[in-house]
Amino acid sequence: MGSQKRIAKELAELVDSPPEGIKVELANEADLYDWKVYLNGPESSPFHNGTFLVKLKFPNEYPFKPPAVNFATKIYHPNVTNDDKGSMCLGMLRPDEWKPSSRVVAVLQFARQLLAEPMPDDAVEGRIAEQYKNDRARYEEVARDWTRRYANEKA
Amino acid sequence: MSTSTASASAANLPSDSRSRPLRRLSQLRSFTSSSSSTNNNNNNNNTTATNNNSNSGTSQRSSYRNSLTNRVPWLSSSSHQQHTSAAAAPGSESATTTSPTNASHSCPESERQSTLARYSSVFSSNRGIDSDRRSQNSSSSRETPTNESSSNQQPQGAMARLRGLTQTGDSRGNNENASNNNHATTATNDAPSSGPDNVDGAVDSSDPAAAEDPSANSAQPKQKPTMRFFPYQDPLQNSRPSLTFIPISRTLPSESCVIRVGRYSERDGIPIANPSEPSDAPIGFKSKVVSRKHCELIFMNGQWHIKDVGSSSGTFLNHMRLSQPNMTSKLYTVKDGDIIQLGIDFRGGEEMIFRCVRIRIECNRSWQRQPNEFKYGSPPPFFFFHKNTESLIKNLGKGNTADYSGCRECSICLGSVLRPYQCLFMAACAHVWHYKCVSRLIHTPDYPIFQCPNCRAYTDLSAEVDDTNDFVEEEEEEEEEQKNSTSERQPSTEQQAQSESQSPAPETNATSNPAQETPTQPANSSSAESPEHGMPVEAGLAVNIENMRLHEAETPVQSATNANPATSAPTSDVEGVPHSASLDIPGSQSASLSRGTLLNRPAQLTLGRADLSDDNPLTPRNDSGPLAFDGWTGIP
Repeated sequence: MGSQKRIAKELAELVDSPPEGIKVELANEADLYDWKVYLNGPESSPFHNGTFLVKLKFPNEYPFKPPAVNFATKIYHPNVTNDDKGSMCLGMLRPDEWKPSSRVVAVLQFARQLLAEPMPDDAVEGRIAEQYKNDRARYEEVARDWTRRYANEKA
Repeated sequence: MSTSTASASAANLPSDSRSRPLRRLSQLRSFTSSSSSTNNNNNNNNTTATNNNSNSGTSQRSSYRNSLTNRVPWLSSSSHQQHTSAAAAPGSESATTTSPTNASHSCPESERQSTLARYSSVFSSNRGIDSDRRSQNSSSSRETPTNESSSNQQPQGAMARLRGLTQTGDSRGNNENASNNNHATTATNDAPSSGPDNVDGAVDSSDPAAAEDPSANSAQPKQKPTMRFFPYQDPLQNSRPSLTFIPISRTLPSESCVIRVGRYSERDGIPIANPSEPSDAPIGFKSKVVSRKHCELIFMNGQWHIKDVGSSSGTFLNHMRLSQPNMTSKLYTVKDGDIIQLGIDFRGGEEMIFRCVRIRIECNRSWQRQPNEFKYGSPPPFFFFHKNTESLIKNLGKGNTADYSGCRECSICLGSVLRPYQCLFMAACAHVWHYKCVSRLIHTPDYPIFQCPNCRAYTDLSAEVDDTNDFVEEEEEEEEEQKNSTSERQPSTEQQAQSESQSPAPETNATSNPAQETPTQPANSSSAESPEHGMPVEAGLAVNIENMRLHEAETPVQSATNANPATSAPTSDVEGVPHSASLDIPGSQSASLSRGTLLNRPAQLTLGRADLSDDNPLTPRNDSGPLAFDGWTGIP
């Protein structure tokens, strides 16, 4: 399968030279299509000092179809669903936005960027987005609290 | 929809601006081959030692060139004859040149009228604007002949770019002869372009007036307005896909034309979807939600406009409905990338015939296809094409470190495209993938449309290959640019070292032996001129056709030199060093220039040749695909 080769390549690149705050490993050594990614909360954000587990699942059609990105760690963020799926709303992952030339590195860097700067206009959690826009202090407080509670275990 | 008339006349119109890039490329190729053959000719006459030196390639190669050289003189001679006969009136092969004085008057007139006739027949059914348009049209047709000679000369830079080599050369001649005989020169101006165009478009234009159309109209300095329709699937609309259709393109034969859009009807016959010539043929969609007369696209004041002409289910421009049902809307500006929707899905759009049409508009994109118009600072897509093709091929050969990741790496498997025996696919945007990797993006339901996964540019894979030769200027620019870049890159690679070793040799020869060069040149020029009396008469049609491409490439410079050697040499010196230097030699010789300029010119010549031989072989090589080398690149 063509996708295997490409995924292996991207994985090797990510493991060899991991971008700042991102650590990648396979969830299961036998399965290239299932990644575990640890994102460190960016310093400027309320998620600082938190480590967030993100699950990356590649479709068989990768790179023609985008990978699925899910937060396994609970996070208080307007662009991540607050359910057990933790789906993330990333523009570049939308089927019509996705380009085969986009790489996982870019996806992950974009995801991490999103932690630093949420995009309330693209929110999946309307309530959090509202709070982010209107009551930033409260939002940051809750986000920090959640980070302490949920994102610290693995740190 | 009197499509039959419209399409028939459309078929008669030669020369288009659509898919110019390929055309350019092929011309570049033919040009380089012909010009390098001329070089080679000089070389041979000079010394065989130089020849060996400069063509460090194989002997096959030079013999190939020689065979080319053999052809070149015929062409130039025939072109010469065309030129002279145009000045001296009667009895040449092209009918248009027989009466030069009349031609400038009558041709445009009649041609205008033919468009006019087509126009009015097209519009006989409806529209109030017809009458004013018609009057406007006829008034312009009245003006045209008087304006033409002057307007032909003013926009020469732009015009020459548009119309390419043939025109360039002629316009040079035009300049020189302008004071003598305006009419004659305009006639000659038209003559060579219509000749090759007719053949080239493979159109049987029994009507010379119609054949004249584009060349007369292109007295406008600007590119003709073009528009392409691509099917568009609204990603936000999760409903059914809109009507599928193959991409449609139109280039307006004149700015006063209107493109009518409506329902396709069997009665109207099948309109030509993508005529290769300018056409204002109506566009029909096979959908019941499209009214017979749905909307019109009008080019006005340099912009495209759309108006609903009383459709029942509406025309939407970027989701905004233009008018009430059955009401005519006002004009709305249409920009590149706009989305036009015709009608709305009916009965849920379950059947194809009830689906609305969503069109993504590309208008006046022909600039993309004209690398010459871009300056080096801001290279838009197509420029990349040349650059990247060049670099790709260079890189393929050398494993050089230049960073054109889009070209060297398949963005799908992230592997290098430089693997031997792997089929590649290169899009018009110059991005390259393994065919194996990209094939599933090619063979989609949208098939003829290919969207580059790297840059999202759309390409129509079914687009006609554009193989007319109508560019020079950008080639000059290219060469100049390549010259610059070569000089920058020179220290780095072996290949440049080779080119360095290549260039000094002929140069020294030329400068140290100017005396030796002098005798050879007349020989050369005589060899170019001698067949001109005998050859065209004897040379059969086959030869003409066979040489048509070369002919086009060769014509202008030769005819310019022939027409007025004294002036043409210096002019071309200024205008286009690389190509004219290599071709103008006979003219400059006979013009008895001072020794100083002679010494100068060979130097330039070798300069140009060094570039040609260093950089331009990539163009011919394009034929054979990036991985097939002629052995030349590999030589250290």
